[in-house]
Amino acid sequence: MEDGNGGQNLPTKTLDSDLDPNLQKKHQSMLDRLSARHQTRLDSSLTRLDSSLTRRSDLSNSSESTSSFLSRFSDSKRSIESQLAESRQIASSDPARLKSHLDDISSSISELEKLVAENSYFLPSYEVRSSLKTISDLRQNVESLTAELVPKKKFTFKNKATAKKEPPKELEIEKSNSVSTKTSNNFVIRDSPGFRNKANEIFEKKFRGSDIGEFTLSDLDSCEVRLSGCFDALFINRLKNCRIYSGPVTGSVLIEDVEDCIFVLASHQIRIHLAKRSDFYLRVRSRPIIEDSNGVRFAPYCLEYQGIEDELEAAGLGEETGNWANVDDFKWLRAVQSPNWCLLLENERVEKVYVANLETGNEGS
Amino acid sequence: MGLLSIIRKIKRKEKEMRILMVGLDNSGKTTIVMKINGEDTSVISPTLGFNIKTITYQKYTLNIWDVGGQRTIRSYWRNYFEQTDGLVWVVDSSDLRRLDDCKMELDNLLKEERLSGASLLILANKQDIKGALTPTEIAKVLNLEAMDKTRHWKIVGCSAYTGEGLLEGFDWLVQDIASRIYVLD
Repeated sequence: MEDGNGGQNLPTKTLDSDLDPNLQKKHQSMLDRLSARHQTRLDSSLTRLDSSLTRRSDLSNSSESTSSFLSRFSDSKRSIESQLAESRQIASSDPARLKSHLDDISSSISELEKLVAENSYFLPSYEVRSSLKTISDLRQNVESLTAELVPKKKFTFKNKATAKKEPPKELEIEKSNSVSTKTSNNFVIRDSPGFRNKANEIFEKKFRGSDIGEFTLSDLDSCEVRLSGCFDALFINRLKNCRIYSGPVTGSVLIEDVEDCIFVLASHQIRIHLAKRSDFYLRVRSRPIIEDSNGVRFAPYCLEYQGIEDELEAAGLGEETGNWANVDDFKWLRAVQSPNWCLLLENERVEKVYVANLETGNEGS
Repeated sequence: MGLLSIIRKIKRKEKEMRILMVGLDNSGKTTIVMKINGEDTSVISPTLGFNIKTITYQKYTLNIWDVGGQRTIRSYWRNYFEQTDGLVWVVDSSDLRRLDDCKMELDNLLKEERLSGASLLILANKQDIKGALTPTEIAKVLNLEAMDKTRHWKIVGCSAYTGEGLLEGFDWLVQDIASRIYVLD
C-alpha cells in the first residue's frame, strides 16, 4: 500500500504540503469503498450458497410445494372446467356474453400455464408433462366449444366445427364466414339442384337429358337418397345417419362433414373431408382422399339397378380399378397406415344394394 | 446491378416464366395443366404436394407449379411464392357453397407481398357443367373490381374437360408477363 502510494506521492511533492492529509483522506475513503464492495460481494455469494444449500437440503420442502402446486393446479382446472360447462348454457341464454366468457376461460388457462411455467424448476418432469397435457386438453375444449357456439350461421347444424382439428385455422375460417356472408348477400346466388334440410325421408332421382349437371345433398338427417343415371358433379355437405346410393358421376364428388353414413358412389374423383364413422363403397378412377376424418372404412362399389352397367361404361367407370382401397389421408402423410381409415372386411360389408329402376323420381327441390 | 435485374436478364435470355397455379381443392388445377400440355386427363388423383410442368408455349418456356389445394396443405402455398411471374387462380364455378372460402383464400393470397408483381389470371373452370356460374358472376362474387389498381388481372371462363377457354386465358397471361418482363421483339 505504501508502495502504491509512492508513485502517487511523487507528483504531490510539487503540491502544497497541507494538501497531503487531504489526499490521504481521499485515498482512505476509496479503500473503504472498495472493501465495502468486496464485503457485499461476499455476502451475496454467501446468501446464494446458503439458499442453494437450503434448497438442496430441504427436499421435503420441495415435495411439499409440489403437492401445494398440484392442489392449486387442480383447483384452477376444476374452476375452468365448470366455466366451460357453463358456456353452453350461456350460449343459449345470453349469447352476447358468450364471447367474453370464452375469453375469460382462455385467459384463466393462460394463467394456469404461467403457474406451471413458474413452478416447473422444482416439479418432477412427469408432473410438468401431465400438467401441460391437461392445459392443452383444456385449450382444445375451449377451441372446439368456440367453434361450436360462436359462429351463429343460420340453418346450420352445430357439429360442423367439432370435428375440425386445426384450431388456428378455424378462427380464420369463422372470421371469413362472417365476412363473406355479406358478400354473398350483395349478390344472390341461385341454388343448385339438390335435396336439402330434410329428415327421415327417402329421395329418388333419375338424371336424364337436361337434368344433368351438378347436384347437392346437404343438411340431411336419417335420410336415404337414391340417384341414378350419369351426372356431372355431386356435392355432399352435413349429413347425419344417411344412406346415399349414386350412379356414376363423370366429374368429381366432394363430401364434407358427414357422420354415421353409408355411401355407395362411382366417380372420377372423390374427396372426403370431416367424415366420422362412415362407410364408403366406391368405384373411382383416381385415388380417393380423406382429410380431417376418422373412423371411415372403404369397400368396393356395390350398387345395382337396371342399366347401371351401361351408365358406368359411358362414364368411363366400367372397369374396377381397385382404387377404392388406395386412400390418401392428407392428415397422415407417412408411410405407415393411417389410423383414420381402414378397409371393410368382406364379412362386414353390406350385400349388393339393389335399387329398383326409377322412371319417375321426385324432383330435387 | 441489383439481384432483380440479374434475374431478369437471365430470364430474358431463356424466355422463362414461372407460373403458380393455386385454388381450392377440386377446382381442376391439375386437369388444366395436363390438358394444356396435351396429356390424358381421365385419371387424375387429388394432388398430394405439387407437380411441376415445363412446357413450351409460343416462344416462351413456362414453368408451371401446380400446388395441391386441400385445406391441410394450403399453408404450404407460400413456399412457392418466390419469383412468381404469373398467378393462376382456379375456381370451381359449380361449387356455389364454397365460393366464400374461395374468395377468402384469394384475398389472403393477394395480400402477399411476394406476389404483388405477378399477373393474375382467374380461370372460372367447369363451365361445361350445367348450373355453373358464368365468369361475370364469379367476378362479382369474388369482388374482383375492388382489386388493387396496380394489379394486372383477367378472368376467363373455361372447361378443363373440353379445353375451352384455356388457351385464351394462357395467351393473355403470357402476353401480359412478356410485356412486363421482356422487351417485346
